[in-house]
Amino acid sequence: MQTAPALASAGLSRPIAGNDAWAALDEPAEWEGFSRPVAGREGWWESCLALEGMHCAACALTVEEVLRGLPGVDAVQVNGVTATARLQWQPQATRPSAWMAALGRAGYGALPAGDLLLAGRRVAAQRLMLWRWLVAGFCMMQVMMYAAPAYLAPPGEITPDLQALLGWASWVLTLPVLLFSCWPFFSAALRDVRRLRIGMDVPVALGVLIAFGASTAATFDPASPWGAHASYDSVPMFVFFLLSGRLLEQRLRDRTAGALEALMRRLPDSVERQEADGSFRAVAVRRLVAGDLVRVLPGQAFPADGEVETGESRVDQSLLTGESKPLLRRVGDGVVAGSHNLTSMLLVRVQRVGPQTRYAEIVALMEQASLEKPGLVQLVDRIASPFLVAVLLAAAAAAVWWWPLGQAHAMAVAVSVLIVTCPCALSLATPAAMLAGAGALARRGVLVRKLQALESCAAVDTVVFDKTGTLTEDRMDVVMAYTPPSLDRDEACDRAGALARHSLHPVSRAIAARFPASDWVASEVEEVAGRGLRGKVSRLDGSGSQYLYLGSASFCRAPVPGRDGPVLQAHLSDGEHYLAGFELDEAIRPDAAQAVSALLKLGIRVQLLSGDTGQAVAHLARRAGIEWYFGERTPEGKLAHVRRLQSEGHRVMMVGDGMNDGPVLAAADVSMAMGQAVPLAQARADFIMAGSELSTVAALVAQARRTRRVVRQNLLWAALYNAACVPLAILGYMPTWLAGFGMAASSLLVVANSARLARSTSGH
Amino acid sequence: MDILFLLIPLSVVLALLIIGALGWAVWRGQFEALEQEAERILHGD
Repeated sequence: MQTAPALASAGLSRPIAGNDAWAALDEPAEWEGFSRPVAGREGWWESCLALEGMHCAACALTVEEVLRGLPGVDAVQVNGVTATARLQWQPQATRPSAWMAALGRAGYGALPAGDLLLAGRRVAAQRLMLWRWLVAGFCMMQVMMYAAPAYLAPPGEITPDLQALLGWASWVLTLPVLLFSCWPFFSAALRDVRRLRIGMDVPVALGVLIAFGASTAATFDPASPWGAHASYDSVPMFVFFLLSGRLLEQRLRDRTAGALEALMRRLPDSVERQEADGSFRAVAVRRLVAGDLVRVLPGQAFPADGEVETGESRVDQSLLTGESKPLLRRVGDGVVAGSHNLTSMLLVRVQRVGPQTRYAEIVALMEQASLEKPGLVQLVDRIASPFLVAVLLAAAAAAVWWWPLGQAHAMAVAVSVLIVTCPCALSLATPAAMLAGAGALARRGVLVRKLQALESCAAVDTVVFDKTGTLTEDRMDVVMAYTPPSLDRDEACDRAGALARHSLHPVSRAIAARFPASDWVASEVEEVAGRGLRGKVSRLDGSGSQYLYLGSASFCRAPVPGRDGPVLQAHLSDGEHYLAGFELDEAIRPDAAQAVSALLKLGIRVQLLSGDTGQAVAHLARRAGIEWYFGERTPEGKLAHVRRLQSEGHRVMMVGDGMNDGPVLAAADVSMAMGQAVPLAQARADFIMAGSELSTVAALVAQARRTRRVVRQNLLWAALYNAACVPLAILGYMPTWLAGFGMAASSLLVVANSARLARSTSGH
Repeated sequence: MDILFLLIPLSVVLALLIIGALGWAVWRGQFEALEQEAERILHGD
């Protein structure tokens, strides 16, 4: 808001670039800091802006119009709740300074999001708001004291000149409230009027002006029809209430929509990088390139994706994946940008920086979701404007109706009507709740790609899981190990484990992971592809050395006890005698059964759909506790299955790995992809699970239902409030101060109700 | 009673001064990071 006059007066001097104040942003090195190339659109860049001076959903439309009107700019999306804009633009046709200047002329301030300026400017805006509020509150108290004698003293006791003095003092102290505290209302209203639109602030500004004008007339001309008794006390009072509402709403909103910003602020500004001479020096994170070696101390966040080169530490990835447990990271393990180093210093070799990091993908995804307007919001936006026109007409009608009974009273009624209507409760109701819900989900590791999907997710009554990569991890697991009765089972298993450590085959890995004990070592190991391993296995001290075979029954060259079944088996022998057998199965995710039972508890049918053989699917379904399972389904078969469920009237949510099941995910009412298998930007699903906890599926459905409930409560409240209070004000039962209080309380209630959603998943 | 004719204008001036003082306090950042200041006393040095 502060920058608006400066920008407006300077105007456009050059065709491409805008104003000198922003000329610095036109350097490619600068705008690359807050922009990224658009994938699949040569020569186009995408940028995010933080907007200042936005008060309501209608403002978002104005900003959108302004940006769309610029040459070389398109795909503009503006979010009124988080006050952010996203746009795509061509460097040949336009430059950041041009948008800034255009927004400035329309009365909005804009900052490149992610810019360091942002923090300072936000703080200044908050301080100004606080000062406006304090002035209104303090003047309200003082004016009230000047008004008290007129209420308390018997008529005639106060001399006319003393009363004039009190009126004059009230007038002087109302002036700062009008000129300073009310400025946000006036500037927003002025902007709307100039663009021939009606925004939320027009009725408020009109109400304040009328009330102040009437009181001024009464003070300086007691003989006028406005009456000798000025009602100054009401102006500062309702302004104070309105500003209190705005202030609290702003803070709540910052906190609620803060999940995204918390995520954005995760990256450190600078990092210690190893220089050519081996010393470590602090450099800006944006100067990092792949291949750099950086030192990350305990308590610091990782600046980029990379691999641990030296050290061992626990890292906290909870904000990125929702996994609450700190993870151990040793040499060779990967770490992701934005996660925190907890216990000890690590040297990390940087692999991916900036927009290629997983962190950047998550942020981009969340930014995109928060800019989207669900259908309900668009509907409310459309009715807000006619509603405001109706309010203005109602106020005028009320004034005309009451005019014969006294001008002063008629004006007071009109002012009450103007102040009491609260379209903001209506327009805030849905986006506030949905953003709060999405923010809470993000903290649990569920990324919301489409806010709209939160609406449909609440109605889901059937969840269909894909098998491989979803219910199961993409590795094998030893489910049973057996040995002939005469042998020591542990010893046989440990020997198999020692041999298996030398191979990367999934079966070997599973056996090695299951039996990691290292009393035994293998040497001279040889792998016969697709059949097995053979090698010399001995104790650590070299004793007990023996040549062993691990692999399929035929490879082991020993009679294998007959155990039938479809299960995958591996055997250990010494070439003559059978030593041990292992049954392997796909590793089911540890919380699969728990997740399924949580969904059943919510009254949701759970089904398993897979391309795998019927027996394998049945076996897995039993382990996970899923009653309905369908095996041997081709991708077309899966699609047909989901379509059939839908035609039976079910609302289906499909959970898949996001890689091979694209069509099914797209066909389902709601889709969720496991985010670990695919680059996030490519996963075509409404929700993406950043971690690997399946129980988040149930949490998602529960949260979606809660969000739907809160949205309905909000809309119901907004409708009831306006339906009840506007007629009361028209009938003259609503003093102006109460009108101001009612409006502030109503919009606060909506935002506070939505803020409950930001907390409620933790209990689940 | 006549003293009121002096006191009321005085109180107006005083109120305007206080508004200014509030602005000074706000822009000095005195209403921000309240917890941080409260914790400072626990952190030695």
